[in-house]
Amino acid sequence: MNQAVSPSIVLSGAGVSIESGDPRSPAPKRILSPLSLTLAERRIAVIGANGSGKSTLLRLLNGLVLPTSGTVHVHGRNTRDEGTAVRSMVGFVFTDPLSQLVMPTPLEDVELSLRRMKLGKARRREAAMAVLAGYGLEHLAASSIYELSGGERQLTALATVLAVEPSVLVLDEPSTLLDLRNTKLLMERLAALPQQVIMSTHDLTLAATFERVLVVDDGHIAFDGAPGDAISHYRKLVG
Amino acid sequence: MRGHAFVVAGYIPGNSVFHRMRLGLKAAGLFLVAVMCLASPFVSVAVGFWTTTAALAAVVGAHFAAGLPWGRLWRAVRLMLVFLVLIAAYQWWQHGPAVAWQVIAAIIATVLASNILTATTPVDELLDGLASIVRPLERIGADPERFSLTVALMLRSIPFVIGAFADVRDAARARGLERNLMARSLPVVIATVAYARSTGEALAARGLGEPAIKTVERAYKD
Repeated sequence: MNQAVSPSIVLSGAGVSIESGDPRSPAPKRILSPLSLTLAERRIAVIGANGSGKSTLLRLLNGLVLPTSGTVHVHGRNTRDEGTAVRSMVGFVFTDPLSQLVMPTPLEDVELSLRRMKLGKARRREAAMAVLAGYGLEHLAASSIYELSGGERQLTALATVLAVEPSVLVLDEPSTLLDLRNTKLLMERLAALPQQVIMSTHDLTLAATFERVLVVDDGHIAFDGAPGDAISHYRKLVG
Repeated sequence: MRGHAFVVAGYIPGNSVFHRMRLGLKAAGLFLVAVMCLASPFVSVAVGFWTTTAALAAVVGAHFAAGLPWGRLWRAVRLMLVFLVLIAAYQWWQHGPAVAWQVIAAIIATVLASNILTATTPVDELLDGLASIVRPLERIGADPERFSLTVALMLRSIPFVIGAFADVRDAARARGLERNLMARSLPVVIATVAYARSTGEALAARGLGEPAIKTVERAYKD
């Protein structure tokens, strides 16, 4: 891995607003209110209703979205000024693996992740096969990504991200499109990872297994604490 | 999106002579087919007619020699069918049947030849080949990796758009709107823009197209 888990991700008054686009009310629309957080725990879950700002919060963590106010630092690196370095430390897994997998086969996609390491063709292929083997996907190396099951696709997406050994893994509702069996498989893989994992989810049973849970509501953190209390708070919030 | 649409420009694993052939040689073959088809008509109509016919026959033979299925050949032609008919009709009207055939044969031969190249070359090898072409231009600021990635994304995007057209056509039919041009085109534009955005976001999230980070390189080199 690139760096140890500590020191952590620090958001200092980080907020996100966008232009409203409506001439009748030109004030910027607030997506995420300014947040000040330190994310140091190994397993952090983010829960909240659809459209509450969970995805925007996660995208702040690897510089996919830049704060319109405040700053975000990952291991001391500012996402605004050092986006490339931040993205090499923070892997990101999307809800739909098909939007993440760029190449026709798992092997080629992992190789694509490894290209910027300038390894040479034979070494790159060897490393890619080793990555796939680590996730039990070596038998699918040459399969079309469209022939894979949902779980296999999500595991492949995870493998392509972890191939470059980030120190933080951010996942945006990775189990939403998966059935119970594949969700279990994915979570077993995630549990075994040495990386810091920050994940948004609607699965409250899953969130309960994390060390810390953030409840996001209407663009702000409504609760931040232990899973039991956070889930109770969320249940009250949604009535 | 329909998964099968990806097969059009994708790699088909195999062990044919074309699969084992070096990329440079395949690219030279493609270049030769294109030059023969484009240049021969300038000699005479008869030379153009027979050269393009021979080139088309050779390319079709090569297609099957590469172990590629008939369906893939037909799909490539079917995608161009409307344009081929229009072009043929115009050329026949303006210059007669020999020129019409020569133009159509030239288009099909070059498309099928490029199809053989992409079907028998893994994308990764294609990226390496493209990067090596651009590498001499690094001195003037060209980025070989970014260039090859752009071409790879273009190859990936063409089948997506074709698949989006098919999906939207079916959706329009299901709603009884098959004759509504707006219902058959606007969703394709929206889907394509959304696809471009999500692909861009995925690439950015993976740090692809960005300069290499020394710490990352070290992780595998050590």
